[in-house]
Amino acid sequence: MTQLVLDRVSRWYGNVVAVNDVTMTIGPGVTGLLGPNGAGKSTIIHMMGGFLAPSTGSVLLDGEPVWCNEQVYRRIGIVPEREELYDSVTGREFVLANARLHQLEDPHAATARAIATVEMADAQDRDIRTYSKGMRQRIKMATAIVHDPAVLLLDEPFNGMDPRQRLHLMELLRAMGAAGCTILFSSHILEEVEQLASEIEVLVAGRHAASGDFREIRRLMTQRPHRYTIVSSDDRALAAALIAEPSTSSVRLDGALHVDATDFAAFARALPALARRHAIRLLEVRPDDESLESVFAYLVDR
Amino acid sequence: MPDRPDTAEATAVVPGGVIHDIGYRHYDGPRLGRAAVVRALFVDGLRGAYGIGRSKRSRVVPFLLLAFACIPALIWGLVVTIISLDELPIGYSEYIVLIQVLVAIYVAAQAPTLVSRDLRHRVVSLYFSRPLGRMHYVFARYTALATATFAFIAAPITLLFLCALLAKLPISEQLPDYLRALVGAVLVAMLVAGIALVIAAFTLRRGFGIAAIITVLLLSSGLQGFVAVIANEAGSELLEEWAAAISPFALVDSINGHLLRGESVFMGVDPSWVMGAGFLAVWFALVATCWGALALRYRTVGVS
Amino acid sequence: MINTTVARLTIRAMLGRRRVLLLFILPAVLLAIAVLARVVAGPEPQLARDLLGPFAMGTLLPLLALITGTGVIGSEIDDGSIMYVLAKPISRSSIVLAKLTVAIGIVLAFGSLPILLAGIITADQVDGPALAYTVASAFAGIGYCATFLLLAIVTRHAVVFGLLYAVVWETTISQTVPGVQAASIQQWALATTELLLGDQASRAGMDAAVGGIGAPLLAALVVGATWLAVRRLRVLRITGDTT
Repeated sequence: MTQLVLDRVSRWYGNVVAVNDVTMTIGPGVTGLLGPNGAGKSTIIHMMGGFLAPSTGSVLLDGEPVWCNEQVYRRIGIVPEREELYDSVTGREFVLANARLHQLEDPHAATARAIATVEMADAQDRDIRTYSKGMRQRIKMATAIVHDPAVLLLDEPFNGMDPRQRLHLMELLRAMGAAGCTILFSSHILEEVEQLASEIEVLVAGRHAASGDFREIRRLMTQRPHRYTIVSSDDRALAAALIAEPSTSSVRLDGALHVDATDFAAFARALPALARRHAIRLLEVRPDDESLESVFAYLVDR
Repeated sequence: MPDRPDTAEATAVVPGGVIHDIGYRHYDGPRLGRAAVVRALFVDGLRGAYGIGRSKRSRVVPFLLLAFACIPALIWGLVVTIISLDELPIGYSEYIVLIQVLVAIYVAAQAPTLVSRDLRHRVVSLYFSRPLGRMHYVFARYTALATATFAFIAAPITLLFLCALLAKLPISEQLPDYLRALVGAVLVAMLVAGIALVIAAFTLRRGFGIAAIITVLLLSSGLQGFVAVIANEAGSELLEEWAAAISPFALVDSINGHLLRGESVFMGVDPSWVMGAGFLAVWFALVATCWGALALRYRTVGVS
Repeated sequence: MINTTVARLTIRAMLGRRRVLLLFILPAVLLAIAVLARVVAGPEPQLARDLLGPFAMGTLLPLLALITGTGVIGSEIDDGSIMYVLAKPISRSSIVLAKLTVAIGIVLAFGSLPILLAGIITADQVDGPALAYTVASAFAGIGYCATFLLLAIVTRHAVVFGLLYAVVWETTISQTVPGVQAASIQQWALATTELLLGDQASRAGMDAAVGGIGAPLLAALVVGATWLAVRRLRVLRITGDTT
């Protein structure tokens, strides 16, 4: 049960505040750090990785500070965003060097395992300079997991990967998360976070805007009505009936029936009852903005 | 079909989807030609060589070096003014030789910022996807660095000249030497900038490029000195004279001495048109080689 | 104490293709001149002193030490790949010491050794200038490497500032302004050599501007610079690109 705790962490550069009073706890499983560009995601990951000191607050891994503490790297693996790798070595040699730097007992075995996990065994003896972007990303991944870390930090890991590589990496991260590893990855691509993360932390303009399951976050934002798209046997009659309900704030007909519901629970109870009473058959009931995108847009706009 | 852009939103409706013209504008007006592009690159290079238009930190090095280069001129200028000497303690052309190390460091520090960055991050291919020929880019960067280096050398010399005038030294004496020194500055700038650019274009890492350029320039100076001493020992005056061709600064100084009949630090014999022409030929050959190397370098870049 | 993996990686990077070319040029030029001088002027201790003093010790060695001292860590910091070394459970001092050792080794191999050879070629004897300047170059090399390594960690313009020191300060100012000569790594190295070799050094024409105090100053510099380098490496920021 490895926990990474940020406690009232702020980071500023002169007059520019990159991270503003953020408190979060990252536990086992896959957590997505979501935010628009410039929101401070990279800064937070750098602070978690001990590359940057917080201006105030503390970053603790199981109670130990991460900054200026080399031994903590036994438990942390980092996949940075920057592409630079060592020149003129093969992939295998690079991972092997990292394994040795970790002072592992059997660096060769660990290297072989790590490379097999990221499926780079075919290309491991080629010079790193000949690798494509996705291959470099996978080698970076291999160096990050070669010492079986309890915590894995990834900064925009899916950048430059083709769909097949992305799926593979997602599978890998899911498996590691299920096995108890604490994984945090940052992204500004909503689909990735939606598919992979069980928990999200949303960062907007340096501030911690929301955390938790994104569906739950949606529930919490009761000021904004839930949107549904309904296709039924008689849309207009249903619309007339729905607008009479107190839980509905607006209805709109254009091809299908669009409903804004202010009270989700009441609406969920009212809809089937109404349909039955007016003998209308419901063909399709679809939440319009349940996705992360609308949650995100809402948070950013606020 | 969407209307002209400056009317209100035009909409194209296709069943199942709507496309809004939100005002992307085409530019159909007159476009500046290639000369303007080259000029813009030149100005950008010139400004970059002094860190203008970039972060404050990139201004420290060029201006610090410039300050160091000007300090002796300032000191001597004050000395001449205050003590009212008859002539300057150092000649203008001699001054160039004095500050050669600073010039070398300047050009070593700035050539990579002009050229290595674009190559390292593969921005060059962006340049070449514009109506810009490869050699136009090279030309723009080369003239920018050469001009910047010329300014670097000319500034302290001009300062010295102004101080001499202030000290009421006769302008008829000072002006010819000053002009000769300016010509020398042009020759030095073009040669040294060429060497620096070639090395910077082939070494992509900044620190390594600086080290390589300064090694070449300083070694050539040291080598020249030593070959001259050895030639002296061996009794060969001709070899001693020609040793000047090894170092860019000595080369230009000799050209100054032989062709322009100015004062020269390295010239050991009487001024001779033949030798002067020979040195000038060497200068041309070196500059041409630099151009050739740059052309070679930039021919294949940005293609992959 | 010294991390061997880091040392191995550093050696590999420093002796990689293009860089090693630059490292070879300096001693190659020195040896070429030495051979030329010998062929032209015959074995001549004075010539050896002129060659080894101002040229080899004064220009070549600082330049070599600059390229090496900044090179062992500078380009890694510049492109961010130092991260792979820092995000490991190894002490920062073992990293610094490893890189310093590699730098000193390279300077000894590409600097002191050629100086010895050049001295033997021109003076036709090992004693005298050859030995004295070899020892001096070793001491100076150690001092320079420690200083430039620290400089490379502290600033991204280490090469230029190092150049300003090595070339402008050491060769120009320290020879013209008398009092200032006491603050020069070269002078301290010469003083240490004089302390070590005694008579031999002065016979070799060595004349340090500082007395016996040069040796402890040099030692203090090396220790202090290394200690500071370790401290600064601990708080190094490896984020972002800068020009």
